[in-house]
Amino acid sequence: MSDIIFEVKDVHYSYLGKFPALCGVEMTIRSGEKIAVIGANGTGKSTLLQLLDGLIFPDHGHVTAFGERLLENSQNDEKSAHRFRRRVGLVFQNADIQLFCPSVKEDIAFGPLQFGVAEEEVNRRILEVAKALDIQHLLDRVPHQLSIGEKRRVAIASVLAIDPDVYLFDEPTAGLDPLTVRHIIDFIVTASQRGKTIITATHDLHIIGEIADTVYVFGRNKSIVRGGSSESVLNDRTLLESNNLIHIHRHHHGGREHVHQHLPLEPHD
Amino acid sequence: MSNPLHKRRDFIERSMLSALSFIKEATLSEEYANRKGFLQSLDPRFKTISFLAFLVTAVSLKSAALIGTLYGFCLILAFFSKIPIRKFFARTLLFIPLFSLCIVLPTLFGIVTPGEPVWSFHVSGINGIITRPGLDGAVLFVVRIATSVSLVVLLSLTTRHSELLKVLRLFGVPQIFVLTVSMCYRYLHLFATMVENIFTAVKSRVGVVSQQRHGQKIVAWNIATTWNRTTHMSEEVYMAMLSRGYTGEPRLLSEFNATPKDWLWLLCAIIICSGLFYKGYFL
Repeated sequence: MSDIIFEVKDVHYSYLGKFPALCGVEMTIRSGEKIAVIGANGTGKSTLLQLLDGLIFPDHGHVTAFGERLLENSQNDEKSAHRFRRRVGLVFQNADIQLFCPSVKEDIAFGPLQFGVAEEEVNRRILEVAKALDIQHLLDRVPHQLSIGEKRRVAIASVLAIDPDVYLFDEPTAGLDPLTVRHIIDFIVTASQRGKTIITATHDLHIIGEIADTVYVFGRNKSIVRGGSSESVLNDRTLLESNNLIHIHRHHHGGREHVHQHLPLEPHD
Repeated sequence: MSNPLHKRRDFIERSMLSALSFIKEATLSEEYANRKGFLQSLDPRFKTISFLAFLVTAVSLKSAALIGTLYGFCLILAFFSKIPIRKFFARTLLFIPLFSLCIVLPTLFGIVTPGEPVWSFHVSGINGIITRPGLDGAVLFVVRIATSVSLVVLLSLTTRHSELLKVLRLFGVPQIFVLTVSMCYRYLHLFATMVENIFTAVKSRVGVVSQQRHGQKIVAWNIATTWNRTTHMSEEVYMAMLSRGYTGEPRLLSEFNATPKDWLWLLCAIIICSGLFYKGYFL
């Protein structure tokens, strides 16, 4: 079908040829979908995003993007690489990796400049994305002087300036304060409303209801153990518990101690 | 009595932490560059060219008085650029001219530079004579060093490092080189913090190291860990660059904007340098 953006077929990937990261992953992602990839640490979520971004390539199986196979050779060709990268943007988990320029402004400008966007247009985009993410006051700052939340917003701005059709987010809310988490969720929701395809890797189940319609759960076997609507997946206690996504804990409140599971969609008494 | 091994370990620990702190403060602090002063308001290209002209003038002039005039001008610039003068003196006048004085010391004496005696002395049966040409040469050398160092320090204090690096492109330095150096500079802080954290983590687990051999092992392990992490990070940074369209030929923002003020400043710099040259060589 023409609206299919990514098709992942029986993908296997291992680091250094001996540490498996993905084993037989299959998924289809259509234009405008909001997808969440959830799983415990080390289940291959980040690896999948890097595969979808054409940064690494499967040992076995294949990934098709916009109707074309994602191959190392095509990514080495400047024209094909640019054609693909204009349409797909990855926000890395570690913002320090993404922000490699000496100033925030240059980091935001880096992507558009590589695609040959005129400098006047680049400057316009810088101001636009800075306003959208409320980082105008950070433009002349040095990335290492920013807080984690500010870095994350700048990292998103650096991808937003490219204006891709597909956003890949790797743990976008990890380690952030509640207000910054809210800003990022709002950004994702707005991007989705503008017709962008959103794929988010996370284990923060509380945000999934807002940022995803479809959820894929990655298991310890480095493959998808279940895919489905966010509501059906989040209500499957056994699935979430067996994949280390919820835990049972004991705590005090209201003057009494009680034990319960941490579930994102259910309030507890 | 304190244990000498502990003292040695303390010395290594203190040296390491001081070195990291120096790297962070000296190379990464942009406190003065961010102030709203005169030099900070100039286009870095014009500022660098004018300071290069001042430097060439300082090393070409043969009159200590004229170089001293340039030094005075440098101090006026520092004042109007909101650089605390005491701190500026501490950075420029304390060590470097003292070291240059040590280098130039032998040339003061008649045995190295013969000429009209200014002062003679007798120490432990040795007669020493300080000559006029020796003294003039030494003063010229020290003033020249002090002025040159002050100019370079003033330029680096009032300009962001990233902008200084970008000015290199003006002199035909390839963009890839500028980008690489900028990235090294950008990650210096991250790696300095990483080394500090590793050191603190080791200290929290190991506590007091009683054997030197054990301490050496820990330092070697730190070096290896930092190396591994930096290698891994460089691969990830490269992926982040690829992800945003990098294909081997970087294109960077050229955001310098020259204003009439910059041109006026350059004209003033040329007039000052020409005036000093004229006075030094033709009058």
